[in-house]
Amino acid sequence: MAENQKPRVGVFICHCGTNIAGSLSIEEVMDYARTLPGVVVADQYQYMCSTPGQNKIIDAIKEHDLNGIVVAACSPRLHEPTFRTATSEGGLNKFRFEMANIRDQNSWVHMHDWDGATEKAKDQVRIAVAKARLLEDLQPKSVAVEHAAMVVGAGVGGMQAALDLANAGIKTYLVEKLPTIGGRMSQLDKTFPTLDCSQCILTPKMVDAGRHPLIELKTYTEVENVEGYIGNFEITLRKMARGTYDGPEMIAAGREGSGCNGCGDCAEVCPVIKPNPFEMGMAPRKAIYIYHPQVMPLQYTIDFESCVKCGLCKEICGPEKNAINLDMVDQLEKVKVGCVILATGYDLIPIEDKTEWGYKKYENVITGLEFERLICASGPTGGHMIRPSDGATPMKVGFVLCAGSRDNTGGVAKPYCSRFCCMYSLKHAHQLMEKIPGCQPYIFYMDIRSFGKMYEEFYYRIQNEGCKFIRGRVASVQEDPVTKNVYVMTEDTLLGRPVTIECDLVVLAAAIQPKPDAERIRQMFGISKSQDGWYLEAHPKLNPCGTTTAGIFLAGVCQGPKDIPDTVAQAEGAASAASIPIHQGEVQLEPYFAQCVEDLCAGCGMCVPQCPYKALALIEKDGKKVMEVTEAKCKGCGTCGGFCPGGAIRMQHFTSPQICAQIDAFLLGGRGGEE
Amino acid sequence: MAVEKNYGNSELENKLRDRYYYTSDSSKDFSDEVRKISGTISHMCYQCGTCTGSCPSAPRSSYRIRVFMRRAVLGLEDEALMDPDLWLCTTCYSCTDRCPRDIAPTDVIMAMRNLAFRKDIGPRNFLKTVQLIYSSGHGVPNNDVNRAAREKLGLPRDPPTTHSYPEFMPGIRKIIDHYGLKEQADKLLSEE
Repeated sequence: MAENQKPRVGVFICHCGTNIAGSLSIEEVMDYARTLPGVVVADQYQYMCSTPGQNKIIDAIKEHDLNGIVVAACSPRLHEPTFRTATSEGGLNKFRFEMANIRDQNSWVHMHDWDGATEKAKDQVRIAVAKARLLEDLQPKSVAVEHAAMVVGAGVGGMQAALDLANAGIKTYLVEKLPTIGGRMSQLDKTFPTLDCSQCILTPKMVDAGRHPLIELKTYTEVENVEGYIGNFEITLRKMARGTYDGPEMIAAGREGSGCNGCGDCAEVCPVIKPNPFEMGMAPRKAIYIYHPQVMPLQYTIDFESCVKCGLCKEICGPEKNAINLDMVDQLEKVKVGCVILATGYDLIPIEDKTEWGYKKYENVITGLEFERLICASGPTGGHMIRPSDGATPMKVGFVLCAGSRDNTGGVAKPYCSRFCCMYSLKHAHQLMEKIPGCQPYIFYMDIRSFGKMYEEFYYRIQNEGCKFIRGRVASVQEDPVTKNVYVMTEDTLLGRPVTIECDLVVLAAAIQPKPDAERIRQMFGISKSQDGWYLEAHPKLNPCGTTTAGIFLAGVCQGPKDIPDTVAQAEGAASAASIPIHQGEVQLEPYFAQCVEDLCAGCGMCVPQCPYKALALIEKDGKKVMEVTEAKCKGCGTCGGFCPGGAIRMQHFTSPQICAQIDAFLLGGRGGEE
Repeated sequence: MAVEKNYGNSELENKLRDRYYYTSDSSKDFSDEVRKISGTISHMCYQCGTCTGSCPSAPRSSYRIRVFMRRAVLGLEDEALMDPDLWLCTTCYSCTDRCPRDIAPTDVIMAMRNLAFRKDIGPRNFLKTVQLIYSSGHGVPNNDVNRAAREKLGLPRDPPTTHSYPEFMPGIRKIIDHYGLKEQADKLLSEE
């Protein structure tokens, strides 16, 4: 409240259709509001957020010369921006608005207690009015936005987001932990429901991402540290020691030679053999390796954990290329970006922990991802589908759906639907029937969730091709130790009979979970997660690509299970959302900054280490030590304000007088809260 | 194949019999035959239950057409053909009208009845009907009560069917004989 200005508050109560008006008395609350000190007008409307509702606010400001607005309606997360706009259109500073959440925090929870809800709404309005009487004009602060972006994770989602950003003219760093971009999709043989070859449709994108002048690939690189805020993120990257240099790296390192050209001579002479994780461990690689022939960038990587440093690779590489450095160490690098898109992807759950299905116990029980590699022409068997125990061609194959999904037992099990297993199992069944004449696939399912475009049609097609569907969750899988055949036990719930089917091979459609380092990345970027561990979007319906931290966006499975079309769509959405502040060039920050009242500040500096955002510093001013706030870094959390022993830190919009007035209004019914 | 046990007590054996479904219980030939005879895509059933929900017989009996569709998909020949419920379909075609996969479940039932009859399975009332048609041309022949009623209404005592024109009976018998229907019915009823 500006000095010498009498509070003139307007209270507006929203019915929200029957959401609020169906559970409490709007009239009674409105009449009560009129009795509160400082309130000059109270009104109500069916939908305050509608144009006529907002016009009521705008007109009342002019008519009654208001200087504080209270809307009792839904959550500020939903409509605070709407009513702030109305407040400013009425000619007031938009921070002279306070919201009382009488819907989410009242009518929805006290739906069957009319009198109680009405009384509570009166309390809420009284508290909001107490604050509104003391509101002040505030000015948002603008900060410049760095014309660059970072995408973390270079699967199909990350690549798409990076390509979109780069094509929109934004310098983009595409950070990938593995030595190649491509992600999970590059491991898949075919995609449903079109049966496109996965690599064939992915590699053009990989090449585009690799060659784009505005995309800087940062493969074999991890995010080490994140500082800053929207528009000005300072991100430290750890470029892990790869053991080789490509051409530009040679120049940067001041080395003689042309650098790694991907010829592969080094891998041929390398004596160390390790399982290749790209092939789910079913094929070997050397200690100096590439994942597969289509890697981007085509540059060999040394696995220093298994390298014996014999030097054979360095010898064969020769002085002309001179690409190998066996003593390479990790390097840290700082980049500055305006926005970040996280696209960190997923892993399968350790399905062996669900012991009833026998994964890793019985040789002929494999996961869907292993199936992908076994049926893939570029996979370890050259696309000849075999079963692991004896290399025989499987003629009866069981697919166990919901293997760990839709399961509330805890442990490795997940309560959610993993969303693509139904469809890829249908695709697997098709591939078997296509490649192996006479092969009979059995799909054990609870529901077939074929929800996407042309998915149900695909399901129809696979059933028509002869796949058998048994409705029943698989209770156990047991092996015949002699034949190594596996028996699948369930109930055919449609027949009402228990079922045991002898299969040559069982494929588990294992549930998926966030990557092991998703938690570390989440904490660095300061975003939230939902209870199932996936990154939390700002709003599940209306802001599915954003997060509650400004400038951080989400793409793909890291936000929740989704298939390739949904991942790419979300990636394009995230890229579009991330490009907005970058193209605007500046963002407005909510002015909820801490402020130092320099007359009171003793310069003790005790607040400085308290700040979680490193926004505070001690400076010399007029011969006196005082604290200074870097407003762009301050998030208004109030840690310093609550801590300051001298009461010298003032939190804008949440000042001590404002908060005390609210507490008084609640505890004393407003009687003690008079100015 | 179901595991045989020997308790030396047939009642107990029946009670404790192995009810597991094994793939060896399935006959692909049966599935294919049903599909061929019915002329409908019986293998495409996804077990939604619209058929049973539409069925006027289902609420008054243990007849569940969905279960027969499942048996058609899995090729459970014995289970389908030995089930007396097979003969409770009134062939009203409500299920066929409503099937979302555009299957004709009624025709699947008809196909199964065909196959059952080939295996000497047929209920008594159906067989008697065959005999009646063979002898009179009517499944429900005219009788004296009916004749009196017709007279009262001013109608001829017999309708203008084979009852009035018995000279057409040899033609009807020829059709029935062509399929060996009468012979089969006589044989089965004599075995009772």
